[in-house]
Amino acid sequence: MRPSLLIATALAAGLISTAHAQVASKSSSVPGTGAQEGGNQSPGEANRFAGPSPSAPQAPGVNAANLPDDPQMDMSQATPMVPQQSANPAPGDWSAYGHDDDATRYSPLDQITPANVGQLQRAFIYHTGSKPAPGQQNKWAAETTPIKVGDGLYTCSAMNDMMKLDPATGKELWRFNAGVKYHSIPYTAACKSVVYYTSSTVPEGQPCHNRILEATLDERLIEVDADTGKACEAFGFHGQINLMQGMGESVPGFVSETAPPPIVNGVIVTNQEVLDGQRRWAPSGVIRGYDAETGKFDWAWDVNRPDDHNQPGPGEHYSRGTPNSWAAMTGDNALGLVYVPTGNSAADYYSAMRTDKENAVSSAIVAIDVKTGSPRWVFQTVHKDVWDYDMGSQPTKIDFPGPNGSTPALVVPTKRGQTFVLDRATGKPLLPVEERPAPTPGVVPGDVRSPTQPWSTGMPRLGFPPLKESDMWGMSPIDQLFCRIKYRKANYVGEFTPPSIDKPWIEYPGYNGGSDWGSMAYDAKTGILIANWNNTPMYDQLVTRKHADKLGLMPIDDPNFNPSGGGAEGNGAMADTPYGIVVTPFWDQYTGMMCNRPPYGAITAIDMHTRKVLWQTPLGTARANGPWGLPTYLPLNIGTPNNGGPMITAGGLVFVAAATDNMIRAIDMKTGKTVWSDVLPGGGQATPMTYEYKGRQYVAIMAGGHHFMMTPVSDDLVVYALPEGTH
Amino acid sequence: MSVARWPSGASDWATIVLGVIVTLLGLPMVIGGIELISLGGSWYYAICGALVVASGVFILLGRSLGAALYLLAWFGTLVWSLWEVGFDGWGLLPRLFGPTILAILVLLTIPVLRRQDRARAMSGRTPATARGAV
Repeated sequence: MRPSLLIATALAAGLISTAHAQVASKSSSVPGTGAQEGGNQSPGEANRFAGPSPSAPQAPGVNAANLPDDPQMDMSQATPMVPQQSANPAPGDWSAYGHDDDATRYSPLDQITPANVGQLQRAFIYHTGSKPAPGQQNKWAAETTPIKVGDGLYTCSAMNDMMKLDPATGKELWRFNAGVKYHSIPYTAACKSVVYYTSSTVPEGQPCHNRILEATLDERLIEVDADTGKACEAFGFHGQINLMQGMGESVPGFVSETAPPPIVNGVIVTNQEVLDGQRRWAPSGVIRGYDAETGKFDWAWDVNRPDDHNQPGPGEHYSRGTPNSWAAMTGDNALGLVYVPTGNSAADYYSAMRTDKENAVSSAIVAIDVKTGSPRWVFQTVHKDVWDYDMGSQPTKIDFPGPNGSTPALVVPTKRGQTFVLDRATGKPLLPVEERPAPTPGVVPGDVRSPTQPWSTGMPRLGFPPLKESDMWGMSPIDQLFCRIKYRKANYVGEFTPPSIDKPWIEYPGYNGGSDWGSMAYDAKTGILIANWNNTPMYDQLVTRKHADKLGLMPIDDPNFNPSGGGAEGNGAMADTPYGIVVTPFWDQYTGMMCNRPPYGAITAIDMHTRKVLWQTPLGTARANGPWGLPTYLPLNIGTPNNGGPMITAGGLVFVAAATDNMIRAIDMKTGKTVWSDVLPGGGQATPMTYEYKGRQYVAIMAGGHHFMMTPVSDDLVVYALPEGTH
Repeated sequence: MSVARWPSGASDWATIVLGVIVTLLGLPMVIGGIELISLGGSWYYAICGALVVASGVFILLGRSLGAALYLLAWFGTLVWSLWEVGFDGWGLLPRLFGPTILAILVLLTIPVLRRQDRARAMSGRTPATARGAV
C-alpha cells in the first residue's frame, strides 16, 4: 500500500462532499463576467442573443486565408463524375479514409498472415513535423489514416500540411504547407485523412487531373495536384475555398474540419465540428455541397431553413446552434446520397430551446440527396439527446446477407454501443429496433425527456448492463468505497438517466463509450464485422449560470474565455441557456482510475449472417496505465479506453492500435488472439491502413497520440513490412 | 496501563508501524462506510472498518487480540467478496489483494504480540519489574 494512496483516500473520505467542485476549481479565479447574469432566466426569446450578435462580424483569422466569397454554381457547368479510385480500389491501394467508398476498412492483401506476422519489422518512420511547440498547450491528436493510390502514399499532418511519400521508403516527394495557425485548433489538432479525386474535365497528363483534397481546421477546402502538390488553380480561389462564408459571428477555433469530405457524384460534401458546450447559439451545423471541379457552391442543408438551399445573403447567416456533424460521412454514388452522422444541437445537455426541426434530425443518420441538398430519409439513434451521444463513427456500407439475397445496407455504430443496420434506400431498419420506455419527464424545469428510446435488439450490444454499486472498482477497498459513495450520491436510473441540477448524474455508456470515430471494419467475404469500443461512464452535473460563472465557464467567443477552463469534452458554459455543464469521467479523481470495473475497452467480432459474437476480448494492457497516471509495465490485458478503428486484411488479420497502452497489435480473425504487437513511439489513436508497393505489403499507423487520452504525442507515421526476401 | 512499554528491537517497531497503518486504513472505511449506509449502500465497509480499527488499536496495545480481529475481518471480507462477485478475478482484486497483503503482515506480528501478551501477563503480577524485563 503506497502511503500517498492512504493520504489521498483518507482525505477523499473527508472531503467527498466537495469533491465535485474540486475538479473544476482550477479555473475559478476567472471573474464571472461576460455571460448572462444570474441562474434563473427562462429560455425566452429575450435571452437569445445576449452573447455576441450572430450578425456581428467574424473575428480576424476566421476567414483564415482571407479568401473571397465563393460563387453559386451554375448547374449547367456540372460534368458527370468519372469513376473514382475509391469506387473500386486497386488491390494494393487504400484509396480512401475507410479504404474505399463503402468504408469497409478491409484490404484484399494477404502477404502478411497469422503465420508470418511475427516477423514484421519497421520499414520506415516518417515525421509529419506537427506536434506542440514548447510552451504550447497540448491539443494534439493527429488521428490520421494515410491513403495510398498508385505510386504515392498521401497523408496530412495534424495541422493540415499535405504530403506525398514514396510508399517504399517514406521519402517526402512533395509537401503542401497549409499554414494553419495554433489559434485555429478547436478541441483537437486532427486531420483524419485526405481525399483522392480524379478530375472529370482535366485530361490525363495535365496538372490537377488527379487531385488531393482536404478540409482544414481553419475551415478551408484545399485541392492540390496529386503529382506535384501545387494548388489547383481551377478550384475555388487559387485552389481554396473559405468554409466560414455564411456562418456568421465566430472566432478562430470555434468551427473546424477534421474529417475527410466525401465526393459523391461530383459533389464535395462538407460537415464541420462546432466546439461543444460553448453556447446555444453557436455557429451552424449546416451541411454543404461544392462542385469537386471548380469548388463553386452547390447547395446547403440548413436544419432550421430546410427549404432554402442557397448561401445566406449579405448580413445573413446559416441557422445557429443546429446539430453539427463532425464524423466522417459516407457517400453513395448509386443512390446519389450522402449519409450524414449528426450530432446534437449546441448546448448538448439542455434541450428546451431546440426547435422541432432540430429534434427530428439530431444524433441521427440523415441521408441527403446530393443533387438537391434535401434529406431523403432520417434514422434517429437517440431522441432529444442531452447526453452528447453524437454520432462519431463513419457508417459502413454492406450488402446485408438475408434469406432472400442481400440488401444494400448501412451499418451505423453509436456511442451507446447499439449498432443499427439500415436499408440504404429507405432508412428503415433491417433488424429489429425496439422503442423502449425511458425516464420521463426528467428533472430540469421545462425540459421534457422523450418517453422512449430506440434499441437495436437484433445486434449484439457493444457494452454491459447498467452499473450496480458492486461494479465499483479500485485498487483497494478504500478507493472502492470512495467510488461506491460517488455512485450512491449521483442520480442513476440506467442508460437514459435525465440530467440533474441538485446532484450529479451518471452517464453510462457515456459520450466516450461504445463506438467513436474509429468506426468499424467489415469483411464482405466472410460477413464478419469488427468493432472496438469503450466502456467509460461519465459523471455529469448541470450547474446554474451563477455557479458556472463562478467556475469560470465562458464560451470561446467571450473575452473572458479561459482556454483551459472549458473544452469540448469537459466543462462547458452552455451560454444562452440557464445552465452550464460540469463533466468528468466517473473516476476516483485522486488516483485517476475509473470507478467502474474493467474492461474499459474491448474488441468484438460479429458474424453478420447470424449476428452472433464470434469472439470478444479486452483491448489494451495496463503496461502504460496505472494509478496517478503511472505506468505499471504489467502485461495484464485489462482493456483500456481506445480511439481509432480496426482494419481487416485478407491474410486473416485484424490490425488495431487505439488503446492507451501505445501498442499496435495484429489479431487472428479466427480466434481473437493477439499474434503480434509492437510498442509505438506515441499513442496509436488512429486507424491503421495497409498497401502493397512493388510486391511488398506494408502496414502503416500514425502514432500521433491523443491529448485527452493522455497518451504521448509524436509526429511519427510508423510503417511495417515483412523482411525483404521473406515474401 | 500496560500500554506504557518501550518498544525494543525492529520487530516491536514494525508491529507498531503496522498497527498505525491498520488503524489509519480502518478509519476511512468506518467514516466512508457510515456515509455509504446513509446513502442506502452496502453495510460491509462500516462493519469491516470498525473491526479493522479495533484490530489496529489492539495491535498498538500489543495484544494478539488485534491480530485475531484483523484475521476475522479478512475472513469476513473473503466470504463477502465471494458472495458479491463470485470467482471473478477483476472483481476480487480490489476486495482481496490489499487486505490479503496486510493479513500476511499481521500474521508476522503474531509472535511479537504473543510475547507482549506474555510479558503483560507477568507484569500483571509485578508491573514494575516486568516492564524492566521486556
